[in-house]
Amino acid sequence: MLSGLSELGQAYLSILNVYSLAYGLGGALLGIIVGCLPGLSATLCIALLTTLTIKMAPNDAILILICSYVGTLYGGSRTAILLNIPGTAANAASCADGHALALRGEAGRAIGIATSGAFSGTLFGVLCLAAFTPLLAEVSLSFGAYEFFWLALLGVAMSGSIVGNDPLKGWLMGTLGLFVAQIGQEGLYAHDRFTFGWSQLSGGISLIPALVGAFGFAEVLTTLADPVERQMVEMRDSVLPRFREVAQYWRTVLRSGVIGVLTGLMPGVGEDAGAWMSYAAAKAVSKERDQFGKGSIDGLMAAETGDMSSIPGHIIPALALGIPGSAPSAVLMAAMIIHGIQPGPMLMIEHPQFIYDVVAMTSLATVSILVFGLFLIKPLLLVLRIKRTVLMPIIFLLCTVGAFASASRLFDIYCMLAIGIGAFFLRRRGYQMAPFVLGLVLGGLLDKSLRRGLVLSDGSLKPFFTRPISIGFATVTILILLLYIPAFKSLVTAVTGAVSKQVRRLTSRHA
Amino acid sequence: MSSPEQAAPASSPGEPEALASLRGDFLSALGWMGLGIAILIGSVTMDRLESQDINPYTIPGLLPGLLGIAMTILGALLGLRSWRPHLLAAGNRAPVDRAELKRLLLVLGLCLAFGVGLVGHGLPFWLAAAIFVTVAILALQYQQRKSAGESLNLRRLVTTAAIGLGAGAVITLVFQEIFLVRLP
Repeated sequence: MLSGLSELGQAYLSILNVYSLAYGLGGALLGIIVGCLPGLSATLCIALLTTLTIKMAPNDAILILICSYVGTLYGGSRTAILLNIPGTAANAASCADGHALALRGEAGRAIGIATSGAFSGTLFGVLCLAAFTPLLAEVSLSFGAYEFFWLALLGVAMSGSIVGNDPLKGWLMGTLGLFVAQIGQEGLYAHDRFTFGWSQLSGGISLIPALVGAFGFAEVLTTLADPVERQMVEMRDSVLPRFREVAQYWRTVLRSGVIGVLTGLMPGVGEDAGAWMSYAAAKAVSKERDQFGKGSIDGLMAAETGDMSSIPGHIIPALALGIPGSAPSAVLMAAMIIHGIQPGPMLMIEHPQFIYDVVAMTSLATVSILVFGLFLIKPLLLVLRIKRTVLMPIIFLLCTVGAFASASRLFDIYCMLAIGIGAFFLRRRGYQMAPFVLGLVLGGLLDKSLRRGLVLSDGSLKPFFTRPISIGFATVTILILLLYIPAFKSLVTAVTGAVSKQVRRLTSRHA
Repeated sequence: MSSPEQAAPASSPGEPEALASLRGDFLSALGWMGLGIAILIGSVTMDRLESQDINPYTIPGLLPGLLGIAMTILGALLGLRSWRPHLLAAGNRAPVDRAELKRLLLVLGLCLAFGVGLVGHGLPFWLAAAIFVTVAILALQYQQRKSAGESLNLRRLVTTAAIGLGAGAVITLVFQEIFLVRLP
């Protein structure tokens, strides 16, 4: 306990220098600008910055990436409020109430509430990150091949069923991602799989070019195929954060913070789930629920707190288990690996200080968004006035550089183009990219864990279903898949309904 | 989580869009099943490294084969869910927005010309980038200019070229000179 506090103190001291503060503020500023631009996601921002910071010292690079991650999600609320278009998927829940406030001439107030909600949410998440990551990392040391097999499968299954509105399409994308991860030399015997004798494919499909294609190039195509320019609401009132309203809605802030962190802990769920679940929970208990969707401060506060607190929540399993909670945290994890830090159970043994460094970095990111929320909101909004016919070709240039820079291979540019075109058409047919990304990240772990597990058990599947932690993960994974069957879903609904009725009856009798 | 009923659009004779969507899902289901079967065949025929005397439970094609099976089953479920009588009739095709298709082909053409043709074939990156950005802005704004009845004047051309050169120069400077990242 005391050694943890001392390491945390050291981590905070290590970022209190001019360079680290400049990197952190710069990363957050870039993130806010990218978040303000509709369609450009946190995933793309982190992927591009990973290539930009590839030659930097590991901690400086990760600091920039974390601050840009937090900044992008914070910046996305600007467009949700002023244009009624979520800057990132996570800000969709802020659109209804934020834009309604803006239409009433209270755009500045809405932005101020978003800033205070984002600050409080991230701060709450940072506390959970500091408290729970070392604990989870300790627990994960007892995980073996069987547990990691189920955890990888659980991530893809959960991401497929929660992201988007069609689990079947989500699982298909997850399976595709898992398959794409198998292309190239496999980990045990260096045997080429699905390379068709093409040496370029032996190295596999790299994560960064794939992500830049799926989230960058596909977005360029989507944006330019639709010529409609949205009208921005003018902002006349003050944008100062409203901490009086944080105090007034403290229950919403606390509830949304807890929900955000918990959704963040679930593998592959994404920040938007944190925002939507917090919004739904706030609507269910709020005194002003009739105002939800029409400019409710409670609703906007819940959505912003929920999505921002899920960021540290997503970093927790990425660090402790090596299982990312969302697409942006998957890129963050890949960046850590590029810089020689392998997230997962061995992190507490190989780089024990790093977890505390990440806590300090996320704290700096939290302060950064408050600084920019106080001083730079109006100038930052100028970026929204750039025409998309000017902006998108430049974004495509960055995509090309981002795809090439990590390995200096032209092949990666071709991969980015192919994946981007595929993603564009798949997205139009209702397929989501997040399960694909999770599959791509977890494919290697799934393959290794399955084969290692089978060797250890001499071909028996029994340990996959009988070890205590394995059986827990297996049950949840199978339940997620079975819930797609209507008959099973109605049975579960009936059983849970009956149980909750009994519990309510018992509690009312006691009362 | 949505149930199959929620996910599948309802189909009735008055809903051509829903039928077009189901038709799209059905055709993509055939694609998924085809890919799944191809992966399965590729995995079954993959070298089992018997000459290296490896543990038979660690053959390289094990997981890809299972993924091929999963993809085929999921594709079949999608196909079953979207199947309706006369689904493949020509009348159920989604209407094509010609203007959107034209724009899409233009963007694709520009991006592919840059990514495959211009980059990495001897031209300095800043120059390739400047040419791409200038041509892309001019081409993408052509339709807007046409509908507004404006013609391309020298001032607009110079401004666009300046944006292109600026983008190429700044990206080269920041990535190559400041952050020491190699450019294509």
